[in-house]
Amino acid sequence: MSSHSIDRAIEGALAGALEVWSVEGSVSRERDGFALRVAAGMKIRVVRAAPSGWMLFRGTRLLGEAAGLPGLLRQLREELAPHAARGRLIVGSPLP
Amino acid sequence: MTPIPVSVITGFLGSGKTTLLSRLLRDPALERTAVIINEFGAVGLDHLLVESSDEQILMLEGGCVCCTVRGDLVRTAGELLSRRAAGAVTPFERIVVETTGLADPAPILHALMTDRDVAEALRLESVIATVDAAAGAATLDAHPQSVKQAALADRIVITKTDLADPAANGLAERLQALNPGAPKLTALHGAVDARRLFDGRARYDPAIYEAPAHHHAGINTFCLRRDKPLHAVTLSLFLQVLAEHCGARLLRLKGLVDVVESPGRPAVIHGVQHVFHPPAWLEAWPDDERSTRMVVISQGLDAGWMQDLLEVLDDEVKACSIS
Repeated sequence: MSSHSIDRAIEGALAGALEVWSVEGSVSRERDGFALRVAAGMKIRVVRAAPSGWMLFRGTRLLGEAAGLPGLLRQLREELAPHAARGRLIVGSPLP
Repeated sequence: MTPIPVSVITGFLGSGKTTLLSRLLRDPALERTAVIINEFGAVGLDHLLVESSDEQILMLEGGCVCCTVRGDLVRTAGELLSRRAAGAVTPFERIVVETTGLADPAPILHALMTDRDVAEALRLESVIATVDAAAGAATLDAHPQSVKQAALADRIVITKTDLADPAANGLAERLQALNPGAPKLTALHGAVDARRLFDGRARYDPAIYEAPAHHHAGINTFCLRRDKPLHAVTLSLFLQVLAEHCGARLLRLKGLVDVVESPGRPAVIHGVQHVFHPPAWLEAWPDDERSTRMVVISQGLDAGWMQDLLEVLDDEVKACSIS
């Protein structure tokens, strides 16, 4: 996938997550990552880390780091929607 | 010991579950069937309407199986198995659970899929939902629980077809759009071919992935497609993300997945909310199409979002495998 289309997919994944958590806000691309703007003017920046992964900032304060999208979404939910339902994958019995 | 198949019959109040069950139990093919009936209310009646020997029927009273007596269901199933092992009951080869009309089937399925003791001895075979041909459309409009029952089903039985034509009144089309993967059968006074109801192979039929997008009454159905194979880790991460963030909004996901590490042998995945069966691996593709297909039935989840998740996760996994 080209970097342009993967950026578009990341933007879509973040915007969709806001919707799933019922958080009103928007996502935009920035030079080094993405910005999430939510209610009351709060802005969280998601910045690419080297060589891989993500860093989350509110202003200049580092909120956390994530190795990939699952960890990034988990941290964003804790920041933006701490009351949103959180589940856990359970693998049950085999298919008949 | 070979696990005993368990089927769950669900459906809204008055939709014909008990009539269907009663008729099924008269079918020689289901002679060796034990029944667990969940009745809601102070005086249970449904079990009196089911024609079968008493020893084969166990009652769950005092609450709805999905909320208050889930533990009882597991315990009752365990009791049945103990009696069978001791030779105290006819050695049944199948269990059918009839829920109350108000039950949400999901917690029942979770109990059957995940309770350690039960899951070793029993295997969830199918979920059958009854929908009344005459009142079904109005019930779907008025009672979200009935939509969920139909959405979670592996088979839908449209009952009371002597009172209304489900093709003419739009019910058949609506059920097809809501749950395209579930074969639709009709039953007049409960008469239906038992073999078609309990045929587990239907889960592997590729036709279930031919799902046009549909949205009605807060439930949307869509099919995700992907031409490029997914890494096995991507599939696992994708399901984890859905389970973690979507909660009960993901009603059902069924998929046929092209996995990088298993060329020519696709994985079949089935899940109810956050609980999934382990992937089953097919020996070969079941049709000419060699691509990933996942049918999702949800409460308002977005197909584009899920597609983006898949792309990003697979890109990350690919980057890790290269570096």
